[in-house]
Amino acid sequence: MPELDELEARLARLEPADFERGLAVFRGKLRGAEASYLETCVRCGLCADSCHYFRADHELKSIPAYKLSQVASVFKRHCTVEGRLASALLGAKSFDRAMARTWVEAIFGRCSLCGRCSLNCTTGIHIATVLRAARSALAEMGLVPSDLQSVVTQSLESGNNMGITKQDWIETVEWLEEELQTAVGDPGARIPVDKEGARVLFTVNPREPKFFPLSLQASATVFHAAKEDWTVASEGWDLTNYGLFTGDSVQAGAIADNLLRSMQRLGCRVLIIGECGHGYAAARWEAPEWLGREHGFEVRSFLELMEDYFREGRLKVDPDRHQDPVTLHDPCNLVRHGGVCEPQRTILRRTVRRFVEMIPNRAENFCCGGGGGQLAMARFQAKRVQAGGVKAEQIRRSGAKTVVAPCHNCIDQLMELNREYRLGVSIKTVAEIVADALVFDQPVGR
Amino acid sequence: MPTIEFSGKQLEVNEEGFLVHPEEWTEDLAAHLACKEEGLDAMTDEHWAVIRFIRGHYEANGSAPMVRSICRTTGVALKRIYELFPSGPARGACKLAGLPKPDGCV
Repeated sequence: MPELDELEARLARLEPADFERGLAVFRGKLRGAEASYLETCVRCGLCADSCHYFRADHELKSIPAYKLSQVASVFKRHCTVEGRLASALLGAKSFDRAMARTWVEAIFGRCSLCGRCSLNCTTGIHIATVLRAARSALAEMGLVPSDLQSVVTQSLESGNNMGITKQDWIETVEWLEEELQTAVGDPGARIPVDKEGARVLFTVNPREPKFFPLSLQASATVFHAAKEDWTVASEGWDLTNYGLFTGDSVQAGAIADNLLRSMQRLGCRVLIIGECGHGYAAARWEAPEWLGREHGFEVRSFLELMEDYFREGRLKVDPDRHQDPVTLHDPCNLVRHGGVCEPQRTILRRTVRRFVEMIPNRAENFCCGGGGGQLAMARFQAKRVQAGGVKAEQIRRSGAKTVVAPCHNCIDQLMELNREYRLGVSIKTVAEIVADALVFDQPVGR
Repeated sequence: MPTIEFSGKQLEVNEEGFLVHPEEWTEDLAAHLACKEEGLDAMTDEHWAVIRFIRGHYEANGSAPMVRSICRTTGVALKRIYELFPSGPARGACKLAGLPKPDGCV
């Protein structure tokens, strides 16, 4: 089914009541301050250069203020008295099929919700927050691109976003356990499954067991070296939550609850989110909002945990194993939105010989272009790869041979950029870099 | 919807080059995509073993196999898979085997 025609068919079916529901959801998502943002843009244009879409294509439609204005004009028309009375004067526009189509193109097609524009807005408008509220409205109206929605549906139906069966998951873990034992030369090395009362519950991205298990094996190697009391869960092990991207809070909450129920079932103390940007933001910051309750336990990134291990002297590494220059990508949801910025740097400075920052870095770093669900939406592929050109240039200028990305979603985009822009780099998780540098204590007497 | 031309036929693909109608797949098409999409010079026995297994699994189960099954059945080592298919098992091998794009972070 051609995606474009399918979207047109969905637009054609919209009734006035659908628009009403969309607007109600949009309004409900905005707090007072965020609603006031819709009136405060002064068109200074500084956000243009903050956006990787605009920097790549220089099109008016890619300027964050333009995207915001499409949303704000609808808000003015339908949610303010003056807008209802004097819509033409105020640039207020009706929420109709054409405008809904404009929203889909602007908010799903030209935005990865990376939030760099919010950071660089002279009047402090949380543009990404407003645009995400607009995604929620589109979700309510059934206008989420079908391939993005299918990832959410897969999570809701099977408990993970790739539909991996429990048997396939367990067999893969057992296989990786054998690989781990061989790699570290210790037949006692374990990847515990459903170990009740373990201190740490470790969660993973389904693409690891399905297609890229080396990162999972690397994480297990780190746990083994640190002698952690840890486990994975046989069910409720998927850290991803594409509900964050569609904006449907009910579905997002249901997906987040999978992890929380695993914690409850196994009685673990710390929920560790493997290297993933949106998974961390979803579980750590958004889930309490969605579910209307606080976590009764700690939720942390694996990066924070690995930093602890180094500080506590539980990991010994030989940085000479990594001689080539290594640079670091900052996943938006982990760093700009999530606040986990320094642990990965502390770890890399100890683990590799030459760590070089890309410029800009940390909260000011650019999105890889694959965030906000972009990788799942095939129809925006060309735009995504074009917008990723900004990241490709950052990488090239760093001179690094290895790009470390603590996010599987970013890694997938970076792999594509690596090919498209002929960067010739290798792309790794932080755990893979650490695992390759680990030095194990020799048993006494050898 | 984009198309690719192969053997005088127009085949529909999505914007990322995955076949829209997986039943249109042939081994000749796989060899063609290997060169055009994956940048491979030639298909080796190892490539064919992986692709035929993935295709067979898809036809029997309607989904892509776990990479563990690929390794176990074909005898190709895990690290070798990523050398054989630079875009990885999903965007590389599964695409050449004519599967629709898998859900998830791929």
